[in-house]
Amino acid sequence: MACTIPPMTTPGVDSYIRQKFAEHAGLSEEQLFADDVTLAAVISRSPKMTNSIDLMEAFAKTANALRKDYGVRVRLPALPLDTPTSTVLKTFLEEFERQKEATG
Amino acid sequence: MSVTDAEQTTRRSAVPAGAPAIITDLYDAFAQRNMSLVQVTWEQQRLHESRRWSVVDMLSAVDLDALTPIDRNLVWNAGRAELTTKPGADRLERQSRSEVDRWRDKNPVVANIMEACGTWSRYWNEEEAHHETVFLRLAEVTGMETVADETFIDFRQVFPDDDMLRTLVLLAFSEITAAVNYGACQHVIQDPGLRRIFKQVAADEIQHRNYFVAFAKALVDSGEYHAKDAFAVGHLFLREDGELGGSAREKVEERGTHVNWWDHLETGEGDFRPDALEKKEQLICGALKKITGIEVNSKEEVEDTWMDLVGS
Repeated sequence: MACTIPPMTTPGVDSYIRQKFAEHAGLSEEQLFADDVTLAAVISRSPKMTNSIDLMEAFAKTANALRKDYGVRVRLPALPLDTPTSTVLKTFLEEFERQKEATG
Repeated sequence: MSVTDAEQTTRRSAVPAGAPAIITDLYDAFAQRNMSLVQVTWEQQRLHESRRWSVVDMLSAVDLDALTPIDRNLVWNAGRAELTTKPGADRLERQSRSEVDRWRDKNPVVANIMEACGTWSRYWNEEEAHHETVFLRLAEVTGMETVADETFIDFRQVFPDDDMLRTLVLLAFSEITAAVNYGACQHVIQDPGLRRIFKQVAADEIQHRNYFVAFAKALVDSGEYHAKDAFAVGHLFLREDGELGGSAREKVEERGTHVNWWDHLETGEGDFRPDALEKKEQLICGALKKITGIEVNSKEEVEDTWMDLVGS
């Protein structure tokens, strides 16, 4: 299922987040986003994850990469494990744009 | 004075004069001071013996008819919460065993640390048995809803294994949460006998926290475990809507595999919730410093430090 990208999104950020998150989860982008799986399913499918701490770490690494390459610091809220990956991506993008605007 | 008299007056004792204490630098104790597992176990045994108390004696001092609805609700919650400790201790014993096997040839000092941890789990389990039975018995005799056998069995589900450092840090923070909760309960309890029980159990939990911190610190000191995993658990607890929020969180996960007691606290008719979040935050930051040597003073600093340690 395709994700709804928030308006005024910085070009390239969407695919950058998908790519980094997939890399840190040890899964392909298709495995993560094609079926819009939940975070619980991501943990279960990922060869790198045991539980939600590993998921938290994959988000943190993605956020750190964003900070390094785009200069924007994103802080994600605690997301329930039944959250679909499309919502995670949307939250990531919204937070990115919000922080980018706040830090000018 | 005969030779025999002189021998009697200088008779050596197997028990040292000093008070028993937790070995807080366990890695150095094994790696630098060459302490053996027999010696470390001896220290665990004498500390355990020095802290023993009787559930029967403590219960005898409670005036059952003086307990308020809030008191009874606190007792009921505590009893259910303590039910989940046995599977935690059983898991610790099993996981320590597998870590010993993993490290035995690669790093014998880490194997020793893990064996000391697995050995100590028997004292932890025994001490927690006091907590569970004292509260459940009190709840039962004061007419609170009985814990159904099905609930009892649900709450005994063994926790899934995780990285050992993360496990120990999570247990340290759980003990902090329990100790602060029981400490807060003492302020609303009127009956001296019941107050004494909560005080004793809180003191036990702090001692358990100290053990978990010591084992976790030893793993970090060994260089085989990374401080980032200690901070990950810190962030898991302290973040907005994190584990520290317990049953007050907007969304409590269905864990499926096991029961975390903090997900299931119920305020009942008294509406008293022993949160004390600032105190817990302060103690978690203190524990992280002892374990990793990195000083943090707030949940924001915990998150920042963890993000830095994680890298990209």
